[in-house]
Amino acid sequence: MSLILIRQKERELRAKGRRQMLGALVAPVVVAFFYAYGIHQFAPLRMLHAPFALALAWTIAGLYFLNRGKWRNETPGDAGFSTGIEFCRKEIERQRDYLRRVLLWSFVPVLLAIATFVIALFIAVGSAVFPNAIPLMTLVVAWIGSYFLMRAWQQRQLQRELDELSQIKSENGR
Amino acid sequence: MGEADSISTVQAGQDDFYKKAVEKYGLSLERLASAYEADPEKRRDLSQEIHFQLWRSFERYDARCSLRTWIYRVAHHVAASYVIRQKRIFSALVSLEELETMGDKDQGQAFVDRSIDLARLSVLIHRLKPLDRQVILSWLEGMDAVSIGEITGLSPGNVAVRVNRIKNILARRFGEGVSYAE
Repeated sequence: MSLILIRQKERELRAKGRRQMLGALVAPVVVAFFYAYGIHQFAPLRMLHAPFALALAWTIAGLYFLNRGKWRNETPGDAGFSTGIEFCRKEIERQRDYLRRVLLWSFVPVLLAIATFVIALFIAVGSAVFPNAIPLMTLVVAWIGSYFLMRAWQQRQLQRELDELSQIKSENGR
Repeated sequence: MGEADSISTVQAGQDDFYKKAVEKYGLSLERLASAYEADPEKRRDLSQEIHFQLWRSFERYDARCSLRTWIYRVAHHVAASYVIRQKRIFSALVSLEELETMGDKDQGQAFVDRSIDLARLSVLIHRLKPLDRQVILSWLEGMDAVSIGEITGLSPGNVAVRVNRIKNILARRFGEGVSYAE
């Protein structure tokens, strides 16, 4: 690979990093959508502002916390100082922490916005809304449930990998 | 010396180290990329990523370890990170213990030593987790246990044990392949 190509790759990587940061805007946009739509639909319900605003502030703060580790998504420049076992451990921990941050800073506030919207709908329309809303509600609940299950499974897998690496490291000392 | 001068000196050193690395280990790096990614298109991307990160890493290289150790560490780290990022670690990858229990037809160690079927070997290597892959790939590059230990962080004794286990698994697997073909 020539040095010219390397410089090109460097530019590509920066552009990719910027695109990934844009991808992180999805949660605040979704929450903002629910906020705006909810307020528009249920204007008299002033109490909705507080949970919607909280969810929005949460996701905006999440932009920082969620991406703090992700901004350095490339291999660190000092990677050559760590051995394979140390590096794998750090990478898996980073991945595990990232999954946790996604749940806390992205998923939970979106959930809060959806819940606020559903409660507002219930207050405004009453229980009559439910027969029509059941298919959509079922889909939303299924999505939330499967998302949680998938993340939990991934977390368990990563933890297993970490335990395995710890065991290998302890065998090293014997 | 001004700041601009020192930056260009560092960059020149970085470029020199990179050129030297490619000259000496270019083919090994290609083999390494092949051992981590079977798909040619993705492999090309991974290979470029390895080269790019290697070039970047030379900014920090201070000869604390040998150039070879540094190159292999960085290359393996990039590839391992790729595997973890692709979440393949969850799916098809197996540990040595799991691989050992998958099928058992002992056809002898000699088979591995005399007949290296690269395609089948790489299929098996692709199934290994990153750390075991690092061990076997370094071993296939002709490194001794101490050098492999420097790259992976495993003790030479642990490396020897793992190499031996991997060799046994490969021997058994190659044996199975022969019996299927017959």
